Amino acid sequence: MSRARQVAAAAGVVPVFRPGSSALHAARAGVATAYCAAFALVAMLFTNPLIVGAVLCAIVAAGIAGGVGRELASTAKLAVPLALLVTLINPLVYREGDTLLVRGGEFLGRRMDITLEALAAGGLAGLRVLALALAFGLFSAVVDPDAVLRLFRRVSFRSALTASLATRLIPILARDATRMSDAARCRPEPPGRGAVARAALAGALERAIDVAAALEVRGYSRARRPARRRTAWSRHDLRVGLAALVIAAAAVAAAVGGVAAVEPYPRVEVALGPPELELAGAIVVAALAPLAIPGARLGVARA
Amino acid sequence: MTFDRFGYRYPEAARAALADLSLELEAGSFTVVAGGSGSGKSTLLRACSGLVPHFHGGDAEGRLEVCGLSVRDNGPGELADACGTLFQDPETQVVMGGVQAEIALPLEQRGAGEAEVARAVEEVALTLGVADLLERRTESLSGGELQRVALAAALVHRPALLLLDEPTSQLDPVAGDELIWLLRRLNEEWGTAVVVAEHRLERCLAAADRVLVLEEGAVACDGSPREFLEWAAGSAAALMTPAARLFAHAGLRPLPASVKQARAALRVAGLVPEGADGGAAPRERTDSRYTGVSATSALRRRLGRRSRPALELRGVWHELRDGPAIMRGVDLRVEAGERVALLGRNGAGKSTLLRHAKGLLDPTRGRLETAGEVALLLQNPGDYLIHEHAGSEAGEAGLTNAGLAGRGAANPRDLSGGERQRLALEVVLSSEPPAVVCLDEPTRGMDRGWKAGLGERIAALAAGGAAVIVATHDTEFAAEFATRVVLLGKGTVIADGTPAEVLAGGWHFSTEVSRTLDGEAGALTPEQGARVLERELVSSGPGRPRRAEEAAR
Repeated sequence: MSRARQVAAAAGVVPVFRPGSSALHAARAGVATAYCAAFALVAMLFTNPLIVGAVLCAIVAAGIAGGVGRELASTAKLAVPLALLVTLINPLVYREGDTLLVRGGEFLGRRMDITLEALAAGGLAGLRVLALALAFGLFSAVVDPDAVLRLFRRVSFRSALTASLATRLIPILARDATRMSDAARCRPEPPGRGAVARAALAGALERAIDVAAALEVRGYSRARRPARRRTAWSRHDLRVGLAALVIAAAAVAAAVGGVAAVEPYPRVEVALGPPELELAGAIVVAALAPLAIPGARLGVARA
Repeated sequence: MTFDRFGYRYPEAARAALADLSLELEAGSFTVVAGGSGSGKSTLLRACSGLVPHFHGGDAEGRLEVCGLSVRDNGPGELADACGTLFQDPETQVVMGGVQAEIALPLEQRGAGEAEVARAVEEVALTLGVADLLERRTESLSGGELQRVALAAALVHRPALLLLDEPTSQLDPVAGDELIWLLRRLNEEWGTAVVVAEHRLERCLAAADRVLVLEEGAVACDGSPREFLEWAAGSAAALMTPAARLFAHAGLRPLPASVKQARAALRVAGLVPEGADGGAAPRERTDSRYTGVSATSALRRRLGRRSRPALELRGVWHELRDGPAIMRGVDLRVEAGERVALLGRNGAGKSTLLRHAKGLLDPTRGRLETAGEVALLLQNPGDYLIHEHAGSEAGEAGLTNAGLAGRGAANPRDLSGGERQRLALEVVLSSEPPAVVCLDEPTRGMDRGWKAGLGERIAALAAGGAAVIVATHDTEFAAEFATRVVLLGKGTVIADGTPAEVLAGGWHFSTEVSRTLDGEAGALTPEQGARVLERELVSSGPGRPRRAEEAAR
């Protein structure tokens, strides 16, 4: 696969927002962002496989209920290899743990023993990476970047616009890369990957200059802080917002209370008692409640 | 706008892009800026929007005022309040993900309140016919839709002046015509002054009050469309519209600025049948133009079966995994030395057919055979140019063929659109002589001079034994270079014959001369049309003048 096609394929794993009819799509950007951020918060606070697994289940179920299951699957194509990489690297870096699996030799004056505990810790870290990536994938697929831009514009207009531009340019640059790859195949002697990648980069810079000129003639240089928008809270805003609040509050309270502790070394110890089960259940139920209750989908007429 | 001895030179440029311009453009006028590639059209518009010199740098001299604001003292941000600007490529002008957010952005940047933004977006969307696009994502829009959305964003704050730099060059003819009619409506109903730089003058001359011709950055002609055409007839024939060239060849005056004017003049002179004006339907013809393959093409195919074709498609299908079929059992046989124009609306399957010929796509059903190597030039020539020097792309011989001899050290990205096109063509032709040469939309954004050069190159390739297939929306170009026209519709061949058989008398797939003469005698080009006027019509019918010159009088 040529470099350009690899770039195009990589761009395809970042979901692009498309309007949908789910409660997540209908919720205001701030609320939907908080909902996705709540999942990320749990993944960052806990290593416990039960809790992280619950988050993964909740994200996947929310994605399917929100009609973006295919987008999440695309994200997983990048996230799963990354998670496996983390899993495999951890035992190479950490030698702690009582259960020796492989006795390696010396490398750069360091013993390369692999322990079960280090491998397990790597697996748990990989799981967290997967959960974080999928939470971001869900966010990209269901939250309108223009609305996010509007959220942050009052804080930092230029940074927000740059982020929005980057979001929009990803699929465009992916298309450019695919086109250049096809053009390279049309040359009598197809050029090397480096040459095509350089040309793609030059093309992106040229496009960036054109975009900058377009922004200038729209008055970008005189941009002012936009007026505040006041929008009434819809039932979807309230339900999704409440779910985000419940997940975040439960996670913080559990973390402060020492629930779902994990101690990988010297032997793996994972807390899997009733409090952990309750927390995992609460995360899944709270996450799916706004998507499962009657009237959660839009535009569906009553029979 | 007031130009007073205004001049401008880009940084490190050898010569001035604009030189000593002095002119005034009135409020509410519709001005077309014409001229060849590199004549200074884009620079003039960029000066009016403040990008020159504030964004591009360089040296400016003299005075330029836009809506009372001096360009020297006010940058693009300040001038943006007075003028809206639209560039060539719609992809680079749209910065937001959603259409509504895109149109609202300029007002939000100015700190407008929510109600003001909402109303302005609603009004401009309804005015420009993009209301049904408001909920769409920008990446899902076609080029024409994207350009209209960019226009809406340029107009949402109701500027007094609208500047457009070849806004139709990246669009298909239907979308391009729609955009020009939209500009005309804006100008007539809301009094917005419009300044548009265009190559295809036949598209916008009818709407214009004034035409400004630039040559090497200086004004070569400044007058009404008819005055411009008279000037062009003597000084710059490449800028004349096909209808005007028809009249000039036939010795008729005044030169028409539109098909309507041309038909009216010919009717008054008794040179076209009564009743042919006013959008009359094409006359009934005896050939099989609208029902499939013409008799000429069928005969050619029978004769051609004895030799091996350069390219043959037999029942080729291309079906998308999650979408419709793009090609539906296409049968096509192209002989060596043929020059084929492949016409059809967007999505008809033209580009897909060429990609199949090259082997970039495999048919889902059917067979495809070629007599040898296939060279394919895709729509964007810049994608082929990956080196830092033009000489590294195609070698000395290629540079010479591309008309770029001695410019091997130039960066391909600094070349004009036409130069890039010719260089990219030499890149794909740089190995063994191909059996088939496929070109996808090679005339997009090219002026008539470049097109003539491309036509000559195509003729030379065909004379060398290659079959040349050109997918194009440009019927004028097709009429000039092609020996055969294949019309695709929804993935099937719906017409196949000589240019006269397929193009004469059509509405959309037709030339300006053919529309002017109502498809008479299959005349497509101005030269053919003039011969028709002189030979067939002038000498026949009672009461008609004996010679075209008499008609002119």
